[in-house]
Amino acid sequence: MDHKIGVYIDTGYGIGEALDIEALSSVATSEFKATVCRADSYWSDPEKLAIIRNDIATEGLTAVIIAGPSSRVFQKEFTFENIITERINLREHVVWCHPANDEDTQMLAEDYMRMGITKTSKYEDRPSFTEPQEKSVLVIGGGVTGLTASLGAAGAGYQVYLVEKEPKLGGWLNKFSKVFTGKPPYDQLVDSPIQEKIKAVESNDKIRVFLGSRVFSISGAPGMFDVIIRPDGPWIEELDEIQNRWLAEKKARENKGTEEPEPAQTSQEEAAKLPPVPETLDFDHQQVAVGSVVLAAGWRPEEPSGLEKFGYGSYPDVITNIQMEELAAKGKLVRPSDGKEVNTIAFVEMVDDQIEHPWLYNSAVGSLVALKQAHYLRKSNPNGKAYIFYENMRAPGQYEKFYRSLQDDPGVFMSKGTPVAVTNGGSSLTVELKDTLLGEALKVKADLVVLSTGMVPVTKDSSVLNLKYRQGPFLPENPYGFNDSHFICFPYETQRTGIYTAGCVKGPQDILSCETDAMGAALKAIQCAELVSQGKAVHPRAGDESFPQIFTQRCTQCKRCTEECPFGAYDEKPDGTPLPNPSRCRRCAICMGSCPERIISFRDHSVDMIGSIVKSIEVPDEYAEKPRVVVFICENDALPAIDMAGINRLTYSSYVRFIPLRCLGNINMVWIADALSKGIDGIMLIGCKYGDDYQCHFVKGSELAEYRMSKISETLARLVLEPERIRVHQLAIDEYSTVPKLIDDFVETLSGFDPNPYKGF
Amino acid sequence: MAKDIIAEPDLQFTKDLIAAGGGDLKKCYQCATCSVACKVAPDNNPFPRKEMIWAQWGLKDKLLNDPDIWLCHQCNDCSTMCPRGANPGDALKAVRKMVIQNNAKPAFFGKLVGESSMFVLALGIPAVVVLLILLISGFSFPEGAVVYSAHHLSPKDGFIYLPLVQVIFTAALVFSVVSLVMSLKSYWTSLESNNPIPVGSARKGFIPSLLEALSEILPHTTFKECEANNIRYSAHLLTFWGMIGLLVTTTIVAFNVDILGLLPPSQNGPGTIPIKILGNVSAIAFVIGLGIMLFRRLNVPDQAGGSSYFDWFFLLIICVTGVTGVLTEILRLAGMVGGAYVLYAIHLVFVLSLLLYLPFSKFAHLGYRTVAIAWAKSAGRNIMLPTQPKCVNAPTMEA
Repeated sequence: MDHKIGVYIDTGYGIGEALDIEALSSVATSEFKATVCRADSYWSDPEKLAIIRNDIATEGLTAVIIAGPSSRVFQKEFTFENIITERINLREHVVWCHPANDEDTQMLAEDYMRMGITKTSKYEDRPSFTEPQEKSVLVIGGGVTGLTASLGAAGAGYQVYLVEKEPKLGGWLNKFSKVFTGKPPYDQLVDSPIQEKIKAVESNDKIRVFLGSRVFSISGAPGMFDVIIRPDGPWIEELDEIQNRWLAEKKARENKGTEEPEPAQTSQEEAAKLPPVPETLDFDHQQVAVGSVVLAAGWRPEEPSGLEKFGYGSYPDVITNIQMEELAAKGKLVRPSDGKEVNTIAFVEMVDDQIEHPWLYNSAVGSLVALKQAHYLRKSNPNGKAYIFYENMRAPGQYEKFYRSLQDDPGVFMSKGTPVAVTNGGSSLTVELKDTLLGEALKVKADLVVLSTGMVPVTKDSSVLNLKYRQGPFLPENPYGFNDSHFICFPYETQRTGIYTAGCVKGPQDILSCETDAMGAALKAIQCAELVSQGKAVHPRAGDESFPQIFTQRCTQCKRCTEECPFGAYDEKPDGTPLPNPSRCRRCAICMGSCPERIISFRDHSVDMIGSIVKSIEVPDEYAEKPRVVVFICENDALPAIDMAGINRLTYSSYVRFIPLRCLGNINMVWIADALSKGIDGIMLIGCKYGDDYQCHFVKGSELAEYRMSKISETLARLVLEPERIRVHQLAIDEYSTVPKLIDDFVETLSGFDPNPYKGF
Repeated sequence: MAKDIIAEPDLQFTKDLIAAGGGDLKKCYQCATCSVACKVAPDNNPFPRKEMIWAQWGLKDKLLNDPDIWLCHQCNDCSTMCPRGANPGDALKAVRKMVIQNNAKPAFFGKLVGESSMFVLALGIPAVVVLLILLISGFSFPEGAVVYSAHHLSPKDGFIYLPLVQVIFTAALVFSVVSLVMSLKSYWTSLESNNPIPVGSARKGFIPSLLEALSEILPHTTFKECEANNIRYSAHLLTFWGMIGLLVTTTIVAFNVDILGLLPPSQNGPGTIPIKILGNVSAIAFVIGLGIMLFRRLNVPDQAGGSSYFDWFFLLIICVTGVTGVLTEILRLAGMVGGAYVLYAIHLVFVLSLLLYLPFSKFAHLGYRTVAIAWAKSAGRNIMLPTQPKCVNAPTMEA
């Protein structure tokens, strides 16, 4: 569509002194016929903003371009109601990192002007997706996390449906003898506060509780989830079995080959192995519509199979820390074997050095529980002795104070140590350890041996959610079995939009952390329901009103989009074409990059738009000896790194042109072809780190880009070009100081080749 | 050392150590800052880190047979640097007290000296003995110039009947020495049996080891290594040599008076001036040394370490001995006859305490430390600082 564009060039920040502003303005006015073009300093000032507003009103502008500082600053100032706003970064990307009044710098600025106006002129006017309007919250799990999340969401005025598989609320806290206070001086224990929480939930008329029930299925999308709740029964085991088998097969297939799976062949078969949504629900069930979901399904103790070598199962006085809680809850501490009073307890932190990640399910909670249970003994028996053998003693935050109080207790003996064996020592048990702080192998006698076990998320055994998604019923998990969508940056997100995890399902946590976590997840769930009702994306592109649209007529049913979407946004229509669920979408546009037919587009981001930007770059002929490099760059971490390089006045070649992408996973082969046939000499792709410690905001975008580029050699061969003309890089946001080397090295490499022979075609 | 140990923590022992001044020992989390900070710990298996966990774990046998606790001169570098405030210096001191108390023969004396509840009795015994001597001597101040020693009761030719003093004080000394020797002998034996020397190690005999230990103790060589608290080295050196000087003076005078039948120096002419000088200089050194230690204990507890009853008891008797000794002389010279006699009597009470409690009070460290250092020498445990600094540059990672 045709836009009436106003271009506002900022001459502040040294821009006016470094560039020929008149020449730059004439690019906008002569080449592109911008309706308005003004050059002045500091457009973010209120009186200058008034000039822009006046132009919008009097000239009927539909788009405003600010050519000045980075788009990461003055976002609020440069927001105009119903007006497209585009930013050209003349500050960090041009004058702060390239020589002033230099021909190449001027050419760079003018190219950015062309690219910015081209981009703006490609914006399309499409409405946002506001169909999902349901705002109630489904909370799965009635333990301390689920109860807290329910109370939080209900307290904010939202209807809550709470599903608990047990016949009563409270979860593990019903079994715990005492808990930490979380109050100064942090060295005491109190009775579990769970009963008050249960009462509060039961008396809250905004919370509807389903006891002894499980989620049978969840279909739909945020703001319009359809949840079927079914009383607990043998059906859940059958369902889990089918789904787990499906998952195991899927994983086995993925591990077998590093080749990209051929989606068209496998996906249909895969889907067929899952139970379909029954057409008639001929069983006792309840159906509710919810806007978002808090998954607080919690944990189970790690299977005690590894504990056998420490006498678990053979000696009744070797118990797990869970059993110890139950024992302590009964009152006086007596031995399970003969009912005699317990005087000595050895708490042994279990380390299975045979497995790769022995710490996976332990965290600090194991240490805290051992400390807590040692406290039980010392409180009830002044002559009692408690040994605590740990691999890592972890008492984070204020728990340090509890640790110290126990450390000061003369009856508590702590040492690092690796358990070797537990044997019968006559009237008591003998625990054997190696690598202790006492510098020697150690044996101690104990009336009771308490083995700590890990906390396994229940999602390891079951999908719990039973999603009716094209990509399967499970939340995607990280290599360690936890649901994940980049924990460090987005702690509550999962890879299924609108479903937020909280509490121990996310990793071992103490009660206080669970409560905090529950509140966070409840707020996230509310935020999601509210945003999708306004047609906006959730984190990390919160507020984005664009969404992918598919020109289905040209779809070849290759299913790449449905397979590659990291968030499972696409289901499938019976004819095999993708069925978008816009409110599940995070707007990363990875699907746009995946589509070989190039039929997926956003109103402000499309294959055509980026292709046009590439084509708008002015490429000097081969005799000018001015090579051109296009850098497709992830706007989440890599682009800010470039900004930071500018802020730090790091200089690098002015032959490069940055084109920001929502994610490097947007990369479409056609852009590469466009650039090369235009005469661009080299192409770089800069995205986030990937692999185990990935930093991609959309989980696997940069990885996919790398994969796609590995297939580019065909294109290059067809054009008779060197493969070194394309380079893919991973750049973390803190690595900005490497930017000049990164770019200059590439430009240096290109200088070894002839200019791109397609220049001037 | 034994391959593995069966730990049966002695809860009471840990509590005793805590009561004996090791109140913070449970705070240790074995970071080993102390062992690194310590200037005198051997490179191999250094203290006080290992002692800290033994103390936390109430491993009585380990601690009571650990010669390393005596290698510590308590400069308190470890305590000031401890990130956890566990005060390893104080913990070791408490262990030393327990060693003295545990090896006490007869055991009752260990309690008598070590427990604050016994304070009145502990000082009461020597006081009563001295009072009895005074009663027998005929409780009166002689006319004229000050004459402390009476050689005859009638006519009484001095303040206090000397033969009785000699008999009782000598008996006390003999008792102490015998007791100390017995204690040290059993201590040595238990060091031997609990710290087996690795097979093949060269072993030194007792006498050469003892001589080597003394050659280090007399000039306070190791003590001097405690840099942070160097003033304690000087103070202890003054006290130590002051004490020896006073001992020599007393011995010579006793020899002169009792064997040669000469008059005591206080009643004598220029011929005894060297003895007088020795005595006075020693006394001044003794009192100044003690004064410094007392001052620092009261004013710089961070460096001096905590002070338990056991410390105070010994400090009390040794300080009062020194101070009354000096004051007695001053009053005598000032002509305050009555005051001189009274102070002399008090002085005797504390001298007797010092003698009697030698093997049971902190005073016993002179024996235990000597024996432990000798044991370390004999076992080849290096307590001298290596000539090279302990920290060598870490090997570079460049391959």
